[in-house]
Amino acid sequence: MNSSTMRGLKAERKKARHRKVWLVPLGFLFFEVIWMLWQLSSIKEEERITGYLMLFYQLPIMNTILLPAMISVIASRLCDMEIKGDTLKLLYTLQRPSSFFDCKFITGIKYLLCFTIGHGILIPAAGQIFHFGSPLKVSMLAAYLAVMLCTGMILSAIQQTLSLMSNSQIMPLATGLAGSFLGLFSLFFPAPAARLIIWGYFAAFPCVKMNWDRTTKITEFYEVPFPLSGFFIFTVTGILIFIICRTIAVKKEV
Amino acid sequence: MSSVIMTDSLTKQYGEKAVVNKLDLKVPSGSIYGFLGPNGAGKSTTLKLLLGLIKPTEGHMKLLGREVNTENRLAILSQTGSLIESPAYYGHLSGKENLRIICTLKDVPFKEIDKVLEIVRMTKQQNKKVSKYSLGMKQRLGLAAALLGAPKLLLLDEPTNGLDPAGIQEMRELICSLPEQYGMSVVVSSHLLSEIDQMATHAGIIDHGQLIFQDSLSSLHEHSKSRIILHTDNDSEALKILKQLNIPAIRKDGSLLLKVQQDALVAKTIASLVRGGIGILRVYEQQMSLEDIFLHLTGKQVSL
Ligand SMILES: Nc1ncnc2c1ncn2[C@@H]1O[C@H](COP(=O)(O)OP(=O)(O)O)[C@@H](O)[C@H]1O
Ligand SMILES: [Mg+2]
Repeated sequence: MNSSTMRGLKAERKKARHRKVWLVPLGFLFFEVIWMLWQLSSIKEEERITGYLMLFYQLPIMNTILLPAMISVIASRLCDMEIKGDTLKLLYTLQRPSSFFDCKFITGIKYLLCFTIGHGILIPAAGQIFHFGSPLKVSMLAAYLAVMLCTGMILSAIQQTLSLMSNSQIMPLATGLAGSFLGLFSLFFPAPAARLIIWGYFAAFPCVKMNWDRTTKITEFYEVPFPLSGFFIFTVTGILIFIICRTIAVKKEV
Repeated sequence: MSSVIMTDSLTKQYGEKAVVNKLDLKVPSGSIYGFLGPNGAGKSTTLKLLLGLIKPTEGHMKLLGREVNTENRLAILSQTGSLIESPAYYGHLSGKENLRIICTLKDVPFKEIDKVLEIVRMTKQQNKKVSKYSLGMKQRLGLAAALLGAPKLLLLDEPTNGLDPAGIQEMRELICSLPEQYGMSVVVSSHLLSEIDQMATHAGIIDHGQLIFQDSLSSLHEHSKSRIILHTDNDSEALKILKQLNIPAIRKDGSLLLKVQQDALVAKTIASLVRGGIGILRVYEQQMSLEDIFLHLTGKQVSL
């Protein structure tokens, strides 16, 4: 990383003072802890053996609901100060517009990363506390976190672009909320349609599937291989989306 | 004298309309260059072009003696400071915290902050949140930010816009003090002639995107010397005689305006008029005001 990017990141850190952006991922994490406690406190003895599988089935759906909203709030917190203060015409004499976009992006990703790491701690902790019957598969946890981070990063790029392009933050925030709903609904869409809904990708690469027996009323979770090639294509698409977003944001007249 | 800004047919078109039209600016080093023009003339667009905030449709420019391109733009701009249109600030931070951000981006030590705050007389308010600042204070903070890193060139776009009279006076004095005290060259735009008259050493007048005048302020004043006002008892007859003598003259507000310079010619003209039976009531020289010059150059009334 060159020195001008380092300076840009330092400046972003200074800008974020008093903004309390940390409260956003912490708040959402707290909500998920409460949800997990509520879910797991009623766990039956025979379910403990597939405890992790249940979490890895349910958490991606939870992310689909929560993360689009969270990411839009973070992006908006970080970007609306630039719009309100009309700062871009000053900043762009001091740093390249693309470099500004990158620094902003990295700053937003920091919060997402902390949220992800929080999950990396919470899941094994839940397993310990509620005495899950089988050990945690590290590869499964890694895949789960990777999907979450990757989808989150793509959404961050989109939200950041929207927040920088609009004069009020209502539209970007509404997009985040709409994304939450759309992502959730996309889980019930037929596959080709669901593939188009970027907000639904938190749950698009499952390691675990569920089987619900109508007669016995028994829910069964079982492991499936992680769709690595699909995830790879998604990542490449994500990089493209980032580049497109950045190109659009950089072109904005100041 | 070397130039800190030189442009060569700098042009910016939006659609069909040339908002900035083939501008050849020349800003001498150490000058306060008043960039004058009515609202919508293209002042802000020109300054944004100079700062590389927008791309020219055509033309070249040299800043601080170097041809500007995408590679060296930021390096050159690191020796300039700018204040474009409304002030840029982070309202949730204090004045000092705002300046720290600029210091970080400019790679300038924080200890310069105290100095620039001193210059713009904002030391007392530095710890207040900028959202609580008045427009004048924001504008001065913007100037402080522009001064960080001791730039060689300052570009200020209507820095007194929206300020109260005291604020305007303070800002003008501040700007005037910069070249001698800190060796900076300053470009300051304004739609107010009187303002440029008070501050500038050089002036460029832009109208409809075109530069219609550019020279030292004293040479702008030169334009004002050659007017003799004549009151006669028969203006139309007098005009005829003046026409025969080839003296440029117009009728205005019940008097005649003569464009003659040399004393001998004035005497000869008056003598001819008297011989022609014209009664001369009054003869006096009038200094053309800057407003008149502007009117003369553009054929348009200016806002004052
Ligand atoms: N992005 C743009 N698109 C189209 N027209 C523009 C744009 N920016 C400025 N203009 C036009 O260019 C002209 C000059 O604007 P500006 O440079 O802001 O004038 P000034 O600063 O002298 O008041 C105005 O008529 C304005 O409407
Ligand atoms: Mg303007």
